[in-house]
Formats: sequence, C-alpha cells, structure tokens
Amino acid sequence: MTFIQKIRTVIRRELRIWARRPIYIIGTVAVMAFCTVFYLTFLGQGVPSDVPIAVVDLDRSSTSRNFCQQLDATQLGKVVYYDDFSSARADLQGGRVTSVCLIPEGFNRDIQAQRQPHFSFYINGLYFLGGSLAWKDLLTMINLTSGAVQREVLRMKGVNESEIMGLLRPVDVDVHQIGNATMNYGAYLANMMIPGMLQMVVVIVFIYSLGTELKYGTGRHLLQVTEGDIYSALMGKTILYTILFTAIGWSLEVILYKWMHFPLEGSLLNMLLACLLLVVASESVAVLIIGCVPVCRFALSIGALYSVLGLSLTGFTLPVEVMPSALQGLTMMYPLRYYYEIYVQTGIFGNPFGDWYLYVLAMLLFCFLPFFVMRRLKNAYWNLDYERN
Amino acid sequence: MKGIRDALDIFNLELRNILHDGGVMIIFIAAGFLYPILYNYVYKNGILEDSPVAVVDNADCSDSRRMIREMDATREIDIAYECVSMEEAKELLRTRKVNGIIYFPGDFGQRLAYRETATFSIYADMSSFLYYKNVLMGSNFVMLHEVNNIKLERFRADGLTDAQADQSVNTVLYDDINPYNRAFSYSIFLISAILMLIVQQVMFYGMSMSVGTMREENRSFATLPDHLKGRGVGRVVLGRGAVYWLIFMIIGIYVTCIVPAMFHFPQRGSFQDILVLLALFVTVCVFFCMSWSTLVTRRESAFILFLFMSPVCVFLTGFSWPTTAFPEFWKYFSYIFPSTFGCQAFINLNTAGANLEIVAPQLRALCLQGAVYFVLACVSVYVENFVIKHRGEIKERLGR
Repeated sequence: MTFIQKIRTVIRRELRIWARRPIYIIGTVAVMAFCTVFYLTFLGQGVPSDVPIAVVDLDRSSTSRNFCQQLDATQLGKVVYYDDFSSARADLQGGRVTSVCLIPEGFNRDIQAQRQPHFSFYINGLYFLGGSLAWKDLLTMINLTSGAVQREVLRMKGVNESEIMGLLRPVDVDVHQIGNATMNYGAYLANMMIPGMLQMVVVIVFIYSLGTELKYGTGRHLLQVTEGDIYSALMGKTILYTILFTAIGWSLEVILYKWMHFPLEGSLLNMLLACLLLVVASESVAVLIIGCVPVCRFALSIGALYSVLGLSLTGFTLPVEVMPSALQGLTMMYPLRYYYEIYVQTGIFGNPFGDWYLYVLAMLLFCFLPFFVMRRLKNAYWNLDYERN
Repeated sequence: MKGIRDALDIFNLELRNILHDGGVMIIFIAAGFLYPILYNYVYKNGILEDSPVAVVDNADCSDSRRMIREMDATREIDIAYECVSMEEAKELLRTRKVNGIIYFPGDFGQRLAYRETATFSIYADMSSFLYYKNVLMGSNFVMLHEVNNIKLERFRADGLTDAQADQSVNTVLYDDINPYNRAFSYSIFLISAILMLIVQQVMFYGMSMSVGTMREENRSFATLPDHLKGRGVGRVVLGRGAVYWLIFMIIGIYVTCIVPAMFHFPQRGSFQDILVLLALFVTVCVFFCMSWSTLVTRRESAFILFLFMSPVCVFLTGFSWPTTAFPEFWKYFSYIFPSTFGCQAFINLNTAGANLEIVAPQLRALCLQGAVYFVLACVSVYVENFVIKHRGEIKERLGR
C-alpha cells in the first residue's frame, strides 16, 4: 500500500468509529454549538443596563428627589430606595445592589446656603462590571448635580451662557476605543472565549480519539491497517479531525465577524488562517500529551487541566505582563495565546502579515511536537503494555 | 439500626472504590489541591500598573505639560514616549509598544486662556479592557483635578475670595468608598468567584469517572444490598454521598479557608459562617453530582461532554456580568447549578464580610436545590436498579 492508500484506510476506519459512537460528534459539534449560543446570547446587547443602585435619601427634598429621578433615568442605573442605611448596606454585602448612595439630611438646605453638603457612596467592587459601571454612573450624576448648582449661581451673578460652559467645564476629554468602539463587552468576550472553547474541544476530543485506541486495545489493529506505519495512522486521523474542527472553527469565525458584525479591522481570511493554525497546533499538543502519557484517562485529565488553564493564561482578560514572571513563559505553551496575538494584530489594528508572521511561525512550530513522541506512541499502540483504565 | 449498618457498608465499599481508583484520586488530589493554588498564582498580581502611553503634545503650553507630568505620576499611566506627531504615536500603538495615546491639540492652551472648554483626546487599545481602564482612569483623575484647579483660578479671577470660590466650585463634596475591593483588583473578584466552583467541578468529574468505571466493568453504582428486597434507596444515596461529603469537606476547607490565607487574600467572614455555607454547599453538590453523573456511561465521557461547562458556570455566578442583566433563559438555566448560589454566598460571606442572615436567600436556594437533587439522586438509583433487575424483559420488549 502507498502512503495515500494507508491514509485513506485510516480515514475510513475512523469514520466507522464515528458512526458507531456518537460521542465524537456530540463532543465537538453539539458542544461548540452550545458554547457559541451561550457566549453570544448571555451578554445580550453587550452593555448592561439598569444595574440596581441603592439610594438612602435622608433629605427628602425636591433637590434630592430630582437627583434620584435623574439617576434612575440614566441607561445604566436603576434606583432602589431604602429607608435606612443598614438595610441598604446589607443588600450591598449580599450583592443585591451594586452600590449605595447616601444623601445626607439637610442636603438641599446646605446646597442653597453654599455649605458644601457631603455625599457618600459605597460600591461593591466584587461584582466587577456592575460595581464599576455604577461607580461611573454615580460620579457622572454627582458632577452634573454640582454643575447644575454652579450654573444657577453663575446665572444669578449675570455671567452669559457661552462663558458659563467654559467656567463649568474648562477641560474635557474625548475617548476613542480602538478595536471596540462601542465598548461591547459581549464582542470582547465572545471573540476569545469561543476560540478558547475550540482549543479545549480539540485537545480533549483528539486525546480521546487517540486514547481510546489504547483503552480498547485497538491500537494494534490501527497499526495493522497501516502495515505498522504510525505516521500514516496519525496522518489519517489528523486529516479527518482537522477537517471537522476547521469546519466548526471557520463557521464560528463567519458567525462572529459576518453575522454578528463584531469589529474586525483586518481581513476575515487572516482570522480563518489563525483558526486553522489553532486547530492544527492544538492537535499537536494533544498528540504530545497522549504520547507522553499513553494512558487514556491520565492523558485526558492532563488535557483538561491544560486547556482549562489556557483560558486564563491567554492574557485577554488579565494581560500577560501582570502575571508572575514564571508564568509568563508558560503562556507560550498555548496555541490560543498566539491566536490572540494574531487577533490583536489583524483584528484590532489591521496590521499587515509582516507584523505578525512570527506568531504564525510559532503556531507552526507546535506541529513538530508529535515527532518527539512518535516512537513511544507506536510502541504503546503495538505492545499495549500500559494500564488500560 | 439496620439501616445505619447498611449505609455504613455502602460507605465502606464506595470509599474502597475511590481509594483504589488512581484516576479518581488524581483528580481529587491534583485538581482539588493544585488548581486553587495555580489560579491564585496566575492572578496573584491583580492590578495592572503603569500602562505605557504615548503623548502627542501639539499645544506645548505649561498647562498641557503639567497635565502630562501628572498623568505620568498616576498609578495607571506611564508616559513612555513623547511623540512629535500623531503618525509616530499611531505607529507605536500599532506595534504595541504603547497601550494608548494622549493627544493635546494645538489650540488647547489657547482655549484655556480664552476661558473656553479645551478638549484633549485619548485613544485606547481595546485588546484588553484593563488597558482601556488604565488609560481612561489615569487621564480622568488628572482631568478632574485640573478642572477643579482651573475653576478655582477663574472664580478667583472674577473677584471671589478663596472660601467663596471653593464653595462655588465644590458645591457638593463626595466620598467614593469601595470597601471590599479597594483598587478594583482583578484577582480579588475573580478568585472569590471560582474557589467554590472548583469544589463543585472537581467533585463532578471525580464522581462521573468513578460511575463510568463501574458501568464499564458491568457493575452499577447503585446496587442495593440483596436482603433489602429492592427497598433502601435512601441508604444507598446517603451511604455513597457520605464518602464524597467527607472528602469534599476536607478539600472544601482547604480551598475556602487555607488557600485564601496562603495568598493573603481578604477573609472577612467568620469561620463558622463559612463552615455552615460549605457544609450545605457540599451536601447539595453531592446530590447534584449523583444525579447528573447517572448520565455518564464511560469513564472519560464526563470530560468530553461536560468540561466546557466549567467556564460557563463561572459566568453564571454573575460575578462579572450582573445577574440583573442576565437574559431570562440563562437566569433560570443558572438555577441548575449549586455553584451559582454557592459562589455568590461565598463572595458575600468571605470577601464582603457578610453574615448568614444577609446570604439567607442563597442559602434558601441551596436548600431547595438540595431537596430537588436528593429526590433526583434517589430516583436515579431506583431506576438504575429497576433496569438491572428487569434487563431481560426490557430487552425483550425493545426487541419486539
């Protein structure tokens, strides 16, 4: 048999396994479909609205009521009224409200008399997004209130309207978010979580596919089919799985950038390339793991440990430069890390290939990993002398 | 008495099974003991400081220079480059030498002198939200500070005394207090959320693996002692559950009390309160895992079919995306998992220093979940036994 023929036999054999055991298709297609639906729908419009803000209004004046109404009218905030501070604080500790705003007694009186009343607001920074957004909302409202009072004073003093603006707001800033102009948290998360899940699925399912041959003692049969050639055996499996995973991955990329219209500065083709590389590199990692530890369940446990940690070590939430230096090197062991770098280069900045070819090379280097364990894997398949379970 | 003896027998049998199963032990020990440490280590420095930023100062006036110096002094921003043109700054941003650009237009100083609103621009790299947060916060702090100073100056120039000017500028004073996570540290909020989740997930994968093994070896996880004549489902569930409960109370105390102490993580709750929560949470998790692991037919399937649920569960705790903003469906979906309530209760108890009264809603939800999953676990044992006993008949009927 020629190399091509051997590969063809392996592919046919693998297809028969898929037909017999639905777990392969469920574990890839169904899992990825669920994840995609989850990450695309869970964050709704991508910016939360109506986060609960507790207000304890001890003043009960028209000014404080007006403040509450305006706060309630913002897109971000929804005011929840409390009679006393301790019950509001309990709900803040219980995570039921994101922040507590305390309007002191005599607030209106003090404002009118220019006695500088003192606002306090408490934020629960443990619920990150809710807390920081409530904080931003409250700061804005307080500055606006303060500005409104100042405007009244200036008007009474007879300053004209055009000058008032300059007096109230001498310096202003306009903010440009590059790569995610609408601050869409959903896009930010889905962009990396979905490929992250793909890496996880590739590693786990490919380890399982190679590991079951050991577990059920079919490794020798696999080698017999290819006349003892481990290269064509692995090649056949890899080709089939690469087609499956890449098909899934490319559909996801199209969904993200064409259907959901998430911002992408560069060409979609670059992302498709990155996705293909992610699949192949992750497969190589899978081969390395099962080759080093040719016991199906150990390899799977290691694969699970490896890929779950990968989501954190990619650095798209907590940047790599913040991690302890010992771990910064470890992040290089993840194909997802390079995928992220390519996404930043092409998706956010639209940089040309010359700027990110090194990441492509790095991903390609992963493809050499299986060669280190080829012999070991072949022996394990042939002798089946490792613990099966 | 007899019931207790039966339960004890089942307890012993299950304990022996677990101890003799290397795979399960690896999960319990490696994942249960190493994972919390690893995560704490990854997120050890939760705060990004001194993000490199490029400045383009076309205004070149004393005001802009002072603002740049002040920005450089903030914790968030490090002025790494002073560029002569926007093109140069853009190139630095594009090649990722900086995470943001601050641009002062040519008329900045002039506008200030004319008492108009002077605007400067910031451009932030959105590849990580932390970069954006740093550039925005650093420049905002400086801006607010400057606004105040300039206002004071202008009011004074209009003939107000210092006290009058201060009263006019600071009409309302405010204190912003962020008591539980003072610096919005990434690690404090993330680690609080995932510690409890680790307990649940480790138990689930371990138990699924053990159930799968028994299924593969043509044993069942639910065999009833023969002398009970088909009764005693509760004894099996409680006997088996007690093994996991004991193991995971140990792992749980390690994860929720010892690990935070090792990493100098805030521990504001009382030990007793956390122990009460943990006992309840582990109980619910045991029944939860027993119910769901029934679906696992092979040793490894749990990883392939359910590994992806771990990150999903993290989001379902509502630690980042607020629960009030959950779409309806996902809100109800999150009620399936004990971690949803367990993690929230732990965040509130341990990190926000709440007491049991404050987390009562979560505890109530956990109790309800526990009841439901206990019934489900019993049903699964009953069904499993029924199927084993009547395997022949069922096959016959299906065959026909």
